[in-house]
Amino acid sequence: MRDLPQSRDLLGLARELLLGELLPLLPPERARDAHLIATTMAIAAREAAGGEGWQEEITGLLNEFYGESGSLHRLATDLRNGAFETSPSRAAAARAILWRLTIEKLREGNPHFLATNGFLAGDKDG
Amino acid sequence: MPRSEAGPADRQRALARFLAEASGAGAVEIARIALLPGGAIQENWAIDAEFDGGRLAGAQRLVLRTDAATGVPSSLGRVEEFAVLEAAFAAGVTVPEPLFACADPAVLGKPFFVMRRVAGSALGRPITLDQGLEAARPAIAERLGRELARLQTIHPLRGGLAFLPPYDGPIGQIGEFRAYLDRHPNPRPVLEWALRWAETHLPDKLPPVLCHRDFRTGNYLLEGTQLTAILDWEFAGWGDPDEDIGWLCCKGWRFGRLDREAGGIADRAPLYRGYESESGRRLDPERHQVLGNLREHPLGGHRAATERPVSDQRRAQPIDRDHRAARHRMRTRAADAARSE
Repeated sequence: MRDLPQSRDLLGLARELLLGELLPLLPPERARDAHLIATTMAIAAREAAGGEGWQEEITGLLNEFYGESGSLHRLATDLRNGAFETSPSRAAAARAILWRLTIEKLREGNPHFLATNGFLAGDKDG
Repeated sequence: MPRSEAGPADRQRALARFLAEASGAGAVEIARIALLPGGAIQENWAIDAEFDGGRLAGAQRLVLRTDAATGVPSSLGRVEEFAVLEAAFAAGVTVPEPLFACADPAVLGKPFFVMRRVAGSALGRPITLDQGLEAARPAIAERLGRELARLQTIHPLRGGLAFLPPYDGPIGQIGEFRAYLDRHPNPRPVLEWALRWAETHLPDKLPPVLCHRDFRTGNYLLEGTQLTAILDWEFAGWGDPDEDIGWLCCKGWRFGRLDREAGGIADRAPLYRGYESESGRRLDPERHQVLGNLREHPLGGHRAATERPVSDQRRAQPIDRDHRAARHRMRTRAADAARSE
């Protein structure tokens, strides 16, 4: 339904224009801002490409963890209150969800860091 | 020249008069004034001036530091930052010698201070990646540890820094961070885990010390292999002695050398060695890692840790504040990714 190019390509093209044509025209003290905008666009493009898939997976893990409808909100509250500290297995399972969440966020927000630390594009566990 | 309602020539004359009066010179002639690169929050102007008599008699290379148009609410004012710089200088921390502060808007239209100009570059990537520095990096990390230990000899009982908000210990800080999280619409379970860890792993009582709060690669000057100055004291405040070390070791400040945990220049060992030998206090790497990452998080742990009371900001301009905060998070996320590359 949408016109082409769509979001990921649009962002890519805009980024190309920014870095290739606008950046050389900027005063040097604004170059860093232009690079930050370009990086922001790259993050947004990865988020657009990734869709909701990993978030749905995390929700599935939370439902499994709680045995009923779970949420990040509930997990956050429970962690704040130390709810799993008397059960090593529950604590380990909660940390596994946190780990997965962190990896998925880094995959969109900072894939270079993952690559540098030995995570491949499709890795779930490192 | 820094902007004010007066013209550049008037401001330059006003500045020359101020410098003469403050230094006891008969007159000051400003030969050159130029905006230095960087400084999104503050402006730094290089000044070459000739002092006719007084305590700075002769040719001087100075820096004038004043607010940029886009300040962040968490930073100190320039006159307060000057007082912090004076305290650090007196404690033997390697900083540019602070010379004069001016709160009178009649001079330049906004507060400013003047310090000596120190040679060197603070650019992160050359510091972490330049092959010529390879052999010297462990010694630089060790020196940074010593500098931090010296900074931490400054305690709240020292006079002259009463304007800094009191620090009520790690529990208070954890509470502030949680309050900050509670104002954010998205739950942050990883941060909650880290805060709980910090809460359940409290060290023996640590007296509050002066923290730089942005002590990292990119905020110190190197001239060749020598550390010549630690810069940008605008976020300084009383805090936990482990804060600055944790911040320096965050992955966000490694500028392409993610494998080197101490600011992208070395592993932690030389940094810890320098700190421990100067301070006599043993460090706990696990605590640094948790504290550092809490502050580094894109949600703005750094901001949360340094932010002035929210009520003041909210009363002022609620919409503008939220927008600024969102923009700050955008910049932080992008900068975090960019520094890794």
